[in-house]
Amino acid sequence: MSDKTTTSFMRSLCMGRIEQDCLFPFPVLSADQKEMLHEIAGALEGLLGSRTEDFSQWDADGDMPAQFIEELKEFGMFGLIIPEEHGGMGLGNMAYSRTLQEVGRYDASVAVTIGAHSSIGMRGLLLFGTDEQKSRYMPKLASGEMIAAFCLTEPGAGSDAAAIKTTAVRKDGGWVLNGSKLWITNGGFAEFFTVFARTGTGDGQGKMTAFIVTKDMDGVSIGPHEDKMGLRASSTTSVLFDDVHVPGENVLGEEGLGFKAAMQILNSGRTGLGGGSVGGMKHLIELSTRQANERKTFGQPISSYGLIKEKVGQMVVDCYTSEAVVTMVGGLIDEGCEEYAVEAAISKVYATECLARSADEALQIAGGNGFMREYPYERIVRDCRINRIFEGTNEILRLFIALTAMNDVATQLKELSRSMKGVFNDPIKGFGVMSDYARKHAGLRIRRGDIGKMTGLDPSIQPQVDIFEKKTRNLAQAADRILRKHGKNIIGKQFATKRLADIMIDLFVMACTLSRVQASIDANGVEKASREIEILKVFTREARIRIKRNFRRIDNNEDELLKALAVDAFEAERYRWDTI
Amino acid sequence: MKILVGIKRVVDYNVRVRVLNDGSGVDTDGVKMSVNPFDEIALEEALRIKEAGNAEEVIVVSAGGDECQQQLRTGLAMGADRAIQIQTSESLQPLSVARALLKIIEREQPGLVILGKQAIDGDNSQTGQMLAALWDRPQATFASKMVLNGDTATITREVDAGLETIEVDLPAVVTVDLRMNEPRFVKLPDIMKAKRKPLDVISLGDLGVSVDGNLKIHHFAPPPQRQKGIMVEDTAQLVQELKNRGLI
Ligand SMILES: Cc1cc2nc3c(=O)[nH]c(=O)nc-3n(C[C@H](O)[C@H](O)[C@H](O)COP(=O)(O)OP(=O)(O)OC[C@H]3O[C@@H](n4cnc5c(N)ncnc54)[C@H](O)[C@@H]3O)c2cc1C
Repeated sequence: MSDKTTTSFMRSLCMGRIEQDCLFPFPVLSADQKEMLHEIAGALEGLLGSRTEDFSQWDADGDMPAQFIEELKEFGMFGLIIPEEHGGMGLGNMAYSRTLQEVGRYDASVAVTIGAHSSIGMRGLLLFGTDEQKSRYMPKLASGEMIAAFCLTEPGAGSDAAAIKTTAVRKDGGWVLNGSKLWITNGGFAEFFTVFARTGTGDGQGKMTAFIVTKDMDGVSIGPHEDKMGLRASSTTSVLFDDVHVPGENVLGEEGLGFKAAMQILNSGRTGLGGGSVGGMKHLIELSTRQANERKTFGQPISSYGLIKEKVGQMVVDCYTSEAVVTMVGGLIDEGCEEYAVEAAISKVYATECLARSADEALQIAGGNGFMREYPYERIVRDCRINRIFEGTNEILRLFIALTAMNDVATQLKELSRSMKGVFNDPIKGFGVMSDYARKHAGLRIRRGDIGKMTGLDPSIQPQVDIFEKKTRNLAQAADRILRKHGKNIIGKQFATKRLADIMIDLFVMACTLSRVQASIDANGVEKASREIEILKVFTREARIRIKRNFRRIDNNEDELLKALAVDAFEAERYRWDTI
Repeated sequence: MKILVGIKRVVDYNVRVRVLNDGSGVDTDGVKMSVNPFDEIALEEALRIKEAGNAEEVIVVSAGGDECQQQLRTGLAMGADRAIQIQTSESLQPLSVARALLKIIEREQPGLVILGKQAIDGDNSQTGQMLAALWDRPQATFASKMVLNGDTATITREVDAGLETIEVDLPAVVTVDLRMNEPRFVKLPDIMKAKRKPLDVISLGDLGVSVDGNLKIHHFAPPPQRQKGIMVEDTAQLVQELKNRGLI
């Protein structure tokens, strides 16, 4: 048994090892926290339940009234993850995620306002703040006297966050900050900014530092409210720093470790967005089932038609599996696991894509009404579109997911080559030669012993366990194969990387769902869990087909043709084959 | 003065209630449960009386399994000072609840007992009346307004004919109607405060109350589905249609 705190389930899985203890038993909230969440849900209903018309008005206006922000503060919405001793609720990651789920049911703009504060804006303080910094700011952050924002993105640095140009230069024991940040959520009213700036010359990630900047410092200014496609009521502005003097004690975390800090904040905050997405899906299922039961065509409610059932059934599967994954990641964090970055990234990609699909299908179920502003669907489609872009685009996260795993496999192979004593000076280049050996070795590594086994699950879900184990072997083989094929060039092989990421996503979702269903069987017996077992069956079958296809296409694909077409289009910057 | 308020855990009013296939009850599996809305109104009234300086303590009480602690906590978060759970796994009928409440009254000696006029699950509307009779104190049911004047309370009741104003001697049992007030919303810091408030658990058996019901429920059935209506041109057709259906 490995140490749960330092083991990443997915990184191990890529080497064929199923670290079952990481994901079993399925994390549950303590009775205490559960009760509290019930109360929070009830309280939120009081605050947000009767505001449907306001939300759609604020969407049209593209702004949220200041009075409502005051209500949110008074309600205590900004203290969710702040420890009790600093005046907050002290929610753990799982409970926080569940709370954002609840908010996400009502309105995405509100969820993002809360999320930008707790998930990212002040999370750096929670994770890396000194006691002094915490007692200075947390009470104000809990009461909402200070709302927080996370300032990383710049006009020239989005996905490539290490390319930021904002600088901080030492002066009089403090720092002078200059630069501009773009699209900062809560920018319009935030008082507390976690700002990332370059603090050394030259490039490299080690040259970035995180600072606590407050609105009252001279030289901080805010740009206009952005006019957006969705989340229109949430505040998004630029934030400008013009010779801002930041005291030395406002360095957040270690000097020079700002990039790492930014990534840790984003990782730890992912369950907020994941929770919001799950909440959105639950709401959509309510809307769609009602809509489909009420709407009649050809003399029958549309809920009686197969094509509508297909959509709703899939929505249920998407919601349940997303919830399993998001809850799992929250549980891992709460248990003190430190290696959850890949898992957290998977939860973000998966939940946001499930929500996008659910929103699109829900709109389709509503037909023409779905397209009308009078109905909620078009707004939900607009609101959730950003989820696949911010907090790391899903493309970047897919690369991260797969490359992290590949890095591990490469390291292992490197060790292997070292043990073969100087036969290969460059292990990566040596792949071709040692491929036979590696293949055999990988084969042994994967089939021998219990490392690729999941044990102790209910017989009723054994077929799904078998699929999981079998596909895990595929994953390990795929990682090996991709590495051997591309070696160091893997960084440039995004088609292959994406396939590996997609296999990993499917397997992690499968594992979390297995864990969740097993927990339900343990608690209520097979019969009562039968619906959940069906969800597992549906997901597993679909995932198996996808994995198979992704696996096959590692060697057999049209990647080069497709790339050539793109290259040609980039050259022409137009479509070449018009018919007139 | 102490005020005792009854809190019942019920299926949330927003939930479309579904009868179990075997007719043994309604489906509460994974269904949202809440404080009976009339009980929230009762508690709100008690809190307002306390805030006006006319009571020292508000106690919420609920009879049920441990899950009803959730609703008691909600009561505490709204502002009640402490809570009592009368613990039982049985589903109680109004008479048993009234008997149990009487035992609590004997312990706590409240100056006023406020209950909802009915619970939205069983719609019995009996507990308050039975309790007043067992306690042998005045009752004021379906109250929409209450004014305390020392040893008495002036209460406006909603009755079929309109409004009726009566005066009762305290202690008394008051059951409240919908229009009495609008209950406050709970805020998150209230939930934190509620965690620290006392919640006592007393088993129904220890109170010496038996659950033997004089009422037996044989089975549950959903109301028949509403038939589709028709549009009539005029009164004559309306009368004809009613006759066709044998309704007049
Ligand atoms: C409403 C809103 C709120 C926001 N809130 C905040 C906030 O509070 N704080 C903050 O710091 N930022 C915030 N952002 C910024 C957001 O995080 C960035 O937009 C996001 O990281 C993407 O960066 P970009 O827009 O520069 O896109 P780019 O990095 O320019 O990417 C453009 C496209 O290229 C793809 N791409 C980029 N690099 C690669 C690669 N190497 N391989 C393959 N594909 C690639 C991307 O996936 C994307 O599809 C917000 C943005 C919006 C729209």
